[in-house]
Amino acid sequence: MRVSKRARWALVIVAAAALALAATAAARTHSSSSKKPIVIGWAHDSTGAMANFDGPALAAAQVEVKKVNKKGVNGRKIVIKTCDTQGNDSSAAKACADQLISQGAKIIFTTCDVNYASPVIQESATKNHLLTVAPCIGTDQMSPKFTFCGGTKLCFSFGNVAQDEGSAMAQVAWNHGWKTADLAKDNTIIYFDAVVNAFKARFKQLGGKIKFETTYQDPTVHPGSVNYHAAAAALIAHPAKVFVTATAGAYGALGPMMDDLRTANNHTPVLNSWAGDGTYWTDQNVTNYWFVTYANAFGHDPSKAVNKLAKALNPAPGTGGFITGPAAIDGVVLAIKRANGSLVGSKLANVMQKFHHVPTISGKVSFSKRLHSVFGRAYRVIELHNKTAIAKGTIVAKKVPHSPDQP
Amino acid sequence: MSVARRLPEVLVPALLVVATALLGLAVSNYLEGYFVNTLVKVAIVVGLYVFIGNSGVLSFGQISFVAVGAWTAGVLTVPRADKPIAFPGIAHFLATTNVGNSASLALAAVVGGVFAFAVGLPLMRLSGLAAGIATFAVLEITNNVLGYEGLIGPALNGFSSVPPTTGIWQATIGCLICIAVAYAYQRTRFGRMLRATREDPAAAAAAGISIHRQRLVAFTLAGALAGFAGGLYVHLQPLAANDLFLDLTFITLAMLVVGGSGSLLGAVVGALAVNGIYTFFTAAVNTVDVFGWHLHVRAGTAEIVLGVLMVLVLILRPSGLTGGRELSLPRRRRALADLEKARATT
Repeated sequence: MRVSKRARWALVIVAAAALALAATAAARTHSSSSKKPIVIGWAHDSTGAMANFDGPALAAAQVEVKKVNKKGVNGRKIVIKTCDTQGNDSSAAKACADQLISQGAKIIFTTCDVNYASPVIQESATKNHLLTVAPCIGTDQMSPKFTFCGGTKLCFSFGNVAQDEGSAMAQVAWNHGWKTADLAKDNTIIYFDAVVNAFKARFKQLGGKIKFETTYQDPTVHPGSVNYHAAAAALIAHPAKVFVTATAGAYGALGPMMDDLRTANNHTPVLNSWAGDGTYWTDQNVTNYWFVTYANAFGHDPSKAVNKLAKALNPAPGTGGFITGPAAIDGVVLAIKRANGSLVGSKLANVMQKFHHVPTISGKVSFSKRLHSVFGRAYRVIELHNKTAIAKGTIVAKKVPHSPDQP
Repeated sequence: MSVARRLPEVLVPALLVVATALLGLAVSNYLEGYFVNTLVKVAIVVGLYVFIGNSGVLSFGQISFVAVGAWTAGVLTVPRADKPIAFPGIAHFLATTNVGNSASLALAAVVGGVFAFAVGLPLMRLSGLAAGIATFAVLEITNNVLGYEGLIGPALNGFSSVPPTTGIWQATIGCLICIAVAYAYQRTRFGRMLRATREDPAAAAAAGISIHRQRLVAFTLAGALAGFAGGLYVHLQPLAANDLFLDLTFITLAMLVVGGSGSLLGAVVGALAVNGIYTFFTAAVNTVDVFGWHLHVRAGTAEIVLGVLMVLVLILRPSGLTGGRELSLPRRRRALADLEKARATT
């Protein structure tokens, strides 16, 4: 089809006009904010790889905020303003941070993976010097020693340090008499990597023997990958008392790997981290499957407050990670009170670095100048058997071994 | 064709870019990032056009050169003190070498070009589906190497402390450089020869044109532009290997197809239009006002709208919004009349 030059000119003008319309329309985005309440801006992911972790944490945090607002914080109420990063698209995440800041947010909450959180952190902490909190980033990369927070002390995570979690998993294995382990490492996310590395280090300290190690890549993070089938086959070929991995049920590898193992009539216990919490991803092949997590989302948590909160949420939380949202709210509220109502990022960060066994709904939380993620929490140990969750007590990591992930 | 008549071929794309930059400055602060991002995407798509548009050969590997450029610029500009933490396993040479912003962009272009040349040597002998699959393989290999090799960068960690120097003006200037280079190339005899191979490979070969050589030249130049654009990108926002993989590959290809892969104007219009629409619906997820009417859409709407738009464009205008043609001023009526008179007399 031949197009006249006039028509092409018109098309160019239309394209330019469309862009202009998009810009001007978008520029009028809501920006109303009230000065009185303390505005927490929450850049969350509703559709992508972190949606299953961000969503419940945000929902539970909103319930906690209602509770906090009954008494107020230094005479002020808390308001959570949200912005959807839509699968953690870098541009959208960055725009979200700026939008929330323009709406008056003085504290920014971000998603639960440090790479995905980076664009938000860059805007909030590095550029605008605001306290930036991740409810459940599971590595210690929010610490000032890492570069994610631009070398500032403004970033914290109420998630557990992966090394602490891996260490707790090693103790679970040892306590159950599983003296030999095969490791299957999903190396798509640093957190997964760090958990398995820490397991290995602590398990060997305890006297355990690593019989075989393999790696795979989850297809949700690494599209097209199918090497988790090969990993499952390799595990079957190298018998051990327990198979250890760290990967998310919400992603694409865990379910098929369990299918591969169980349909091959291999019933070796599989031990996973918090990432593999929940029954939403499971089928009848998920048996003798163990994990450690923040809270028991199935109504059998040792804490009544946790059970009550889980019950209040609609939809019910899929994993124990929901508790990190309200825990982060509790922590931030306490920091504001201890900073005499100041919302200045550096002041809040100074206070939070001094948190030592601070009570939150998720248990006692400690930070230090070096570690800006939580360590020493009591993990809930849960076994899944064909969609039935069985509470197996709690465990606290006694020792966090040095692992290659800690500079 | 006179120079004056050809001027819009490069001026219009350049003016569109400048207009986008000015719009970006006029909107709310938090939306400016979208505009900067759009300009970087224009630079990437222009690089894509240099090869695909001129050769007619589909390449899925262009984003691997963007990634290599981003890695080069990123690794070389992270402050030296941060490198042991940001890149724990990096090679000594890279750990101790730092360059400034402009030098990092230039080096990103050089490394992108060299990598494209090395890859293109064997691959540019292929055509059609084979070329597409082979370049896709390059993308896969590059993604895995960059994503897991700590000797040359952050591996799984992604970049976190690259100086964010790509603001609206750096992106605009970068974009204009890409447009100027792409235009200059398509006006050279190399560009003309490559387009001849696109229109009729057999006739071009019969006329003495080396198809392999011409494609390799364009592929290398496109790689250099992609590397440069990657440098701009990493200076805009923190990137990890997966940010420079399939999503970016397909969205930039979509931009080129929607705009019209046969022209520089098409590349620019496609990138602006697709990113404009995508940006609008992405922002609308968090509610926007359109002339006082609150528009809120569900997450994922942008992708659906883009998909529908692509289908419509492919059905109604298979050669893209611009018809794959450049924009030039119409011929003067008198000259036309003279021509017709001359024809009549002969």
